[in-house]
Amino acid sequence: MPDLLADKKDREFKLIDRILSGHNEGFYELIAPYQRRVYMTAFDILQVEADAEEVAQEAFLKAFRNLRSFRREAQFSTWLLRITVNEARMRLRQRREISFDAVFPTKEEADFTPIFLADWREIPVEAVLREETRRLLCESIAALPEHYREIITLRDVNGLNNAETAEILGLSLGNAKVRLLRARIMLRDLFVERLHDRRRHRLSREVAP
Amino acid sequence: MKFDCKHIWRELSNYLDGEVPPEVRRDIEAHVAQCRHCAALLDSTHNVIVLIADERRLELPVGFSARLRERLERELATSKPD
Repeated sequence: MPDLLADKKDREFKLIDRILSGHNEGFYELIAPYQRRVYMTAFDILQVEADAEEVAQEAFLKAFRNLRSFRREAQFSTWLLRITVNEARMRLRQRREISFDAVFPTKEEADFTPIFLADWREIPVEAVLREETRRLLCESIAALPEHYREIITLRDVNGLNNAETAEILGLSLGNAKVRLLRARIMLRDLFVERLHDRRRHRLSREVAP
Repeated sequence: MKFDCKHIWRELSNYLDGEVPPEVRRDIEAHVAQCRHCAALLDSTHNVIVLIADERRLELPVGFSARLRERLERELATSKPD
């Protein structure tokens, strides 16, 4: 497995050398495996398809223009996603006149208590199959504060490891883990709330004449 | 060391990622066996993580690759990486 990864890295670095020596068309091959990931990352942060597509295009363009400054200590994909996250953040900032970042300080060390509900034990896994559950989950992700949505997107949606995620977000590994913990618990809280609201809603409809 | 609920919350994410030392893992599992709240917290958080990983079924918008290529072609035809 590590050999496969090393091979891939090696192939990518060779391809990058070729592009830098003037074979621009190699860039399509370089980015082909990452189109989806870049788009999904932008979408999860922005929650609007058209914006996500524009940001994805910008990210690829920036990656091309700045290819020479890519330091090969990291993987190309990590570098590319860092550009994507930065572009998406810029777009978010443009989109709203007031920055909410100031209102949601990222105090990672503050104490917290997860919500306790009487009957939250089951988030049934078979619910995965249901479109409604899917929708509730998307709503829950959308309801997360920006810095939590970013880390969930990278770590749990895109499946990057903690070190890559920390690097992309410019966090220490320790802070990334703490933020991830908060993000996961908040996401779970948001999802459980929505699941229960829906059940209550359904129950009241069944009881109504 | 005996773990209380706050310890569990703090270690929850690392535990689910398999990133806690074996002795901490044992303490967590011993606590969870006794504490219904923490067992629920662990289960449900795990399930949410499984669910969002599954979200990747989302498709790229129709024509995404073609539009991207079009935009890149304009750039790649006229410039070189810095």
